[in-house]
Amino acid sequence: MSAQTEEAAARPASRTGKGGAPPASGVSQRTGRAVPYLLILPAAVFTVLLLGWIMVQNGLLSFQNLNRRQLIRRTTEWIGFDNYTDTLGHEEFWRVTLRSVVFTAVNVALVMVVGCLIGLLLARLGKRTRLLLLLGLVLAWAMPVVAATTVFQWLFAQRFGVVNHVLDQLGWHSMAEYNWTSGQFSTFFVITVLLVWQSVPFVAINLYAATTTIPKELYEAAALDGAGVWKRFTSVTFPFLKPFFYATTFLEVIWIFKSFTQVFVINEGGPDRLTETLPVYAFVEGMNNQHFGMGAAISILTILILLALTAYYLRLVLKQEEDEL
Amino acid sequence: MKRSLIGRIWPGATAVVLFLGFVFPVYWMFATAFKANKDIVGDDPVWFPTSPTLEHFEKAVDAEGFWTFVANSFITTAVAVLLSLVIALLASFAIARMRFRGRRSFILVMMMAQMAPWEVMVIAYYMMVRDADMLNSLAPLIAIYTLMVLPFTVLTLRGYVAAVPKELEESAMVDGCTRGQAFRKVIFPLLAPGLMATSLFGFITVWNEFPYVLILSKDPSAQTLPLWLTGFRTTFGDDWGATMAASSLFAVPILILFVFLQRKAVGGLTSGAVKG
Amino acid sequence: MKRGLIAATGVAALLVSVAACGSDSGDKDSGSGDSKGKTLTVWFMDGSNPPKWTETVKSEFEQKTGAKLDVQIQKWDNIQQKLTTALSESTPPDVFEIGNTQTPSYAATGGLADLEDLKKEIGKDWTDSLNKPSVFEGTQYAAPWWAANRVVIYNKKVWADAGIKDIPKTRADLFKAFEAIQKKGDAEPLYLPGQNWYFFDGLTIGAGADLVKKDGNKYVSNLADPKVGKAMEVYKQYQAFSKAPKDKDEATPQQADVFAKGKTGAFIGMGWEADTAIKANPEIKKDIGFFTIPGETADKPEGVFLGGSNLAIAERSKNKELAEEFLKIALSDKNEGALVKEVGSIPNKESLLAQVKGHGAGEAAAPAAKGGGTTPLIAEWAAVENAPNPIKAYMTAVLNGKSPEDAAKQVEGEMNKRLSQKQ
Repeated sequence: MSAQTEEAAARPASRTGKGGAPPASGVSQRTGRAVPYLLILPAAVFTVLLLGWIMVQNGLLSFQNLNRRQLIRRTTEWIGFDNYTDTLGHEEFWRVTLRSVVFTAVNVALVMVVGCLIGLLLARLGKRTRLLLLLGLVLAWAMPVVAATTVFQWLFAQRFGVVNHVLDQLGWHSMAEYNWTSGQFSTFFVITVLLVWQSVPFVAINLYAATTTIPKELYEAAALDGAGVWKRFTSVTFPFLKPFFYATTFLEVIWIFKSFTQVFVINEGGPDRLTETLPVYAFVEGMNNQHFGMGAAISILTILILLALTAYYLRLVLKQEEDEL
Repeated sequence: MKRSLIGRIWPGATAVVLFLGFVFPVYWMFATAFKANKDIVGDDPVWFPTSPTLEHFEKAVDAEGFWTFVANSFITTAVAVLLSLVIALLASFAIARMRFRGRRSFILVMMMAQMAPWEVMVIAYYMMVRDADMLNSLAPLIAIYTLMVLPFTVLTLRGYVAAVPKELEESAMVDGCTRGQAFRKVIFPLLAPGLMATSLFGFITVWNEFPYVLILSKDPSAQTLPLWLTGFRTTFGDDWGATMAASSLFAVPILILFVFLQRKAVGGLTSGAVKG
Repeated sequence: MKRGLIAATGVAALLVSVAACGSDSGDKDSGSGDSKGKTLTVWFMDGSNPPKWTETVKSEFEQKTGAKLDVQIQKWDNIQQKLTTALSESTPPDVFEIGNTQTPSYAATGGLADLEDLKKEIGKDWTDSLNKPSVFEGTQYAAPWWAANRVVIYNKKVWADAGIKDIPKTRADLFKAFEAIQKKGDAEPLYLPGQNWYFFDGLTIGAGADLVKKDGNKYVSNLADPKVGKAMEVYKQYQAFSKAPKDKDEATPQQADVFAKGKTGAFIGMGWEADTAIKANPEIKKDIGFFTIPGETADKPEGVFLGGSNLAIAERSKNKELAEEFLKIALSDKNEGALVKEVGSIPNKESLLAQVKGHGAGEAAAPAAKGGGTTPLIAEWAAVENAPNPIKAYMTAVLNGKSPEDAAKQVEGEMNKRLSQKQ
């Protein structure tokens, strides 16, 4: 992995120079101009055609009155922007949107903070304890979502759930038969524990791997300046790994915002639809209620909202790409 | 640099506590799966299955068509992941190493493709597949699964490709290799760990997928394991033993894969993640 | 999404092995002789088709027509999505089970084949109340298969231990029995989660309440009606005897599984749920008993929801005649009678009612069936029951201390939205 180390080390130093991309050498001139296009062709065809086609189809559905009857009869009823005006005019949509944004913010913050702390801890551990912790993280990370969600339902089950039992034993007796899915807050609590448990390993392991690429000299220099733990983090680790933090936060925002199985399965958006996030809301309105056109409209609004949330990062990356090549 | 006892012990102690926290749900799943019913619903939890039983597993495997689901799950996952790796490797090579018009647009499309809320676009895809008369087959499933993992794979692999020193490739070409040969003989071996690490994401995504197979495959001959697992929640009610046995069986292939590829994964995703 | 319990919604199936007969799609098959090599696909819901009955019907059908019968058992999870999409496909299940409350809304979609001719041939004496949900705007779209209503399923041992000798004849008697079990303290008197909504529906029928009312030419929620509130108060009195979660229905966990552990005095369920309990714990078999849910007075049992299933043929089926042939066999007096004997359900003809004799659950159910009813039989209704069902939210709210009026107000918006949903 030494190659990687050098590479990573070189990058921040010469952000606008090399940065992993080749200098425009003779190589690219010798190969034909068509080569890059041929290389991206399969990916482009796949994404642009298939995803594009689905998106267009989805877009068309969002302008239709498409329910059970129309789906079964295979008829098309255009209704213009009705699905959008209905959705946007409904106070519930905005409440769900706000809830999703807050939910995403809280979870991403938790995942990033806990993940980074564990990542930094990994760097400080001895070999054996590090392997042990890595094993735990990898196992949690590898649990298939459907299985993990089922396990968490069992952990937090009202009767015979181990969480309630332990809380009871610890002296909090009112929790002995506590129903975690009875309230909005407690349901979100379970979902958050599940999501944090599942997402932290990705951040922690990658942060740890990334810190191994930081040249030791930088820390030594900082130590000479008398920097403490926190100072070393802010003056060396963080600046060095800035791209990492951006990229990981971006991925986590997308993943948490889109998380569907975890939110839906734990309590199906209940109680009283109070734990529906946007993807769940779209699913309930579109699939459960068999209002497919409406569901399509909400899914498109969901994409727009996600784009808005990540616009800052997307712009940053594009700018950086421009500098690099 | 002598540190106090506490100073020396706390990282290790914290690590052990964290290990227990992360492992417990996984452990509890397996433990419950092996426990006799009376131990599962006793007033005091039984922390270790003292008299292990396989009855829950028998019940779980007993489902009609179980082995077809297993085969279908393996086929869809393997094909979709391999396909996305191949396609992504080509593309990531281009965007990591070459300058061409449309490069930025391509990267932007990939990043935006990651945002697609798949669960709520099921019906659009369903209608396309239905109208093409391709329901109840693995092909449309593999296509959509490949699409789901492709953007992440492209962007992550791009980081790995970029991390392979340019000089190696150039010197290979000086030695008379063509660019294609240089790629095959020099770059590809160096990328192997990256490919494995990246594939983990694909494996777990495809292995889990549920909403698409639910309505695209009503014929059991084209169904996969997630349908079988979710079916249990109703069939078995609060039979947590059987449900956990089913979950264990479902999780084991992925757990093995991860532990097996773990070391690669660790070096791994960084460079990709750094590049976003 | 949540299995609608017994009241079963329907099911449908997928034509799998159509490959064999793909080529002859289009031309009508002319009678039984030509059916060799064809396959008829039938969707039954998980738990609906008893094994012996299925076996008999299958062999009879295959013998008579020469075609193959492919029975596919469908899980309750996501069944609506599966059924709706399946009915739009070019090879849908030929015959499928569909819940009586779901039938009108699917009939309105055009996905069900017209069964007028079949009705003339075999359905002249179908019981009117059972057949009503299958008729939409004057046309027959499904055939009544079976119906059932809830009974009290109790643990004789728990009751004997608490010193209860007589079977309760009135609601007050029943509550007294529950109190006795509670006092004894060994068992939970009743297992009743907060969202056993079909039991609640029965109580509203008993109270003479309507869940929806007409407002102009639209249907709107009638939950605020004091009669509905009164029914809910009765439910609340029942629920006070149970420690079951107030925000779950009887399928999560399966109430029969809870009962099977022997620590529960009684639960309110369909007769065949006793079999589920016995499957979970064979020991309990000797202790299980059944009785009719008692009403306010001894002369009139409690109102019940008449859950049931119909059999329908998909409009897009390529084997309609074969499918009708199947219905004739499945619903023949002989087989319908055997079904009643096997599971204790209410048959689709009054002449077969006697078959229920000797079946404990069936005998307990029969007295209440007369006063039974269904959910509102309007096409708009199905949307209300889609998860998350607002009436379940209403029930939980009242059980958690809200007044019925306030709870009704809380869910009215959602309910009216669903009732006025574009079709």
